Amino acid sequence: MIFELDVLILLLLIPAAVMALQIRDLLAASMAFGIYSFLMCLLWAEMGAVDVAFTEAAVGAGVSAVFLIATVYCTKRKSSD
Amino acid sequence: MMKKLAGIVVFMVGLLLFYGVSNVDDFPGWGDPDSPANASPLSQYFITDTIKDSEVPNMVTAVLADYRGYDTMFETVVIFIAGIAIFAVVRVSRNNSPVCGGNKDDEPDLIITTTCRLLVPVIQIFALYVLAHGHSSPGGGFQGGVIMGASFILVAVAWDLDTALGRFSEKAAIACAGLGIIIYAGFGLASMFYGEEFLNYGITHKLLPGVESPEMARYYGMLGVEVGVMFTVTSVMFLIYGLLSTRGRMSGGL
Amino acid sequence: MNLLVVTLIVLGLIFFFGGVVGLLRFPDFYTRMHAAGKADTLSTILILGGFIVYNFAEGGDAASWNVLVKIAFIALFIMLTSPTSTHALMQAGFESGIEPEIDDDESESTQEKKGRDS
Repeated sequence: MIFELDVLILLLLIPAAVMALQIRDLLAASMAFGIYSFLMCLLWAEMGAVDVAFTEAAVGAGVSAVFLIATVYCTKRKSSD
Repeated sequence: MMKKLAGIVVFMVGLLLFYGVSNVDDFPGWGDPDSPANASPLSQYFITDTIKDSEVPNMVTAVLADYRGYDTMFETVVIFIAGIAIFAVVRVSRNNSPVCGGNKDDEPDLIITTTCRLLVPVIQIFALYVLAHGHSSPGGGFQGGVIMGASFILVAVAWDLDTALGRFSEKAAIACAGLGIIIYAGFGLASMFYGEEFLNYGITHKLLPGVESPEMARYYGMLGVEVGVMFTVTSVMFLIYGLLSTRGRMSGGL
Repeated sequence: MNLLVVTLIVLGLIFFFGGVVGLLRFPDFYTRMHAAGKADTLSTILILGGFIVYNFAEGGDAASWNVLVKIAFIALFIMLTSPTSTHALMQAGFESGIEPEIDDDESESTQEKKGRDS
């Protein structure tokens, strides 16, 4: 476990999370959510929880981003919120 | 107004969290044997006795699939229910409902389909490796199932959903989703049949050919339930993708 | 041996830097994807090569050969998937009608520049 790497990943996580919530364009928001999941995966792996990191990489960064994009494709792309 | 208020609250909580974490000495070091989580007798038991109990080197898998078998079984049921719920909400039977986007006349791109032709078998073999190797390295039924489902989704993205449905039809997906839970519960019932508790696989060494000790029976029992989990997760992932990307028509679409 | 590792990884990082600069500075979608896709593949493979050499720094036993095969597979799949995904993005961009930025009156503009320079 490298403390500096932890700090770096956490610092990158914050803009990714804010982006995923704030962007009006839902497609871009789904991509930001994918980035967030991938950074979480890196964080888990770096903390030694490899099983959790693997699940996060497969489910969070992989399939759920695809589900979100598929849903955006069939609905509106702009958020009214 | 509410948004600003919520922002202020989040900021305050963040500051509190930062204040709580900033005092690094309060937290145990990485892998510290005296940390509260490691000092409990249960963790010590898992670390020292997992191999003796079940011959599984990766204790995460042992805890997930054996010591907490009920938990994992109902996690699988949750995924199954999620798939069925999306099916119930989104699926439409009429074929005249609006198609979303895309024109079906497009030929699938040659470069993309060739690469997918090369990649899909490798992805599926990797999924099976993750499933079968979950005992001695990170992995297991959930991850393997998601990767296997992703390979079918890749086929649906590269060609179209109809091609993917030709490989793995909707009815087969629903049947496999149920079959996975039946496999899981079947292993539990098989151990009940020999007079042990539900999901206590140790006794199935009388049932499985070529397995002498209860420990090895636990090993193979875990593999069996992971196979069940994989069936459910694979088919539910593919089903959810198909339903969401076509507004429930299960044809054409993306 | 260590020097080789550092050289490979730094070379990879330089190509990554080039890719990022191209991504940020180029004028339109196609040139940006060009920079990102090309630099990405090469630099990833260079960095993975650095990992392989680092892995053999303390003599090659069975375990490091095992790791070599795994990293080689990763490099192979990067080589397959990265250009394909770049192609898919380009294709999608072309089909959804993104216009490349073409300088029609190139000779004119260069003449103008010359005129300004002189």
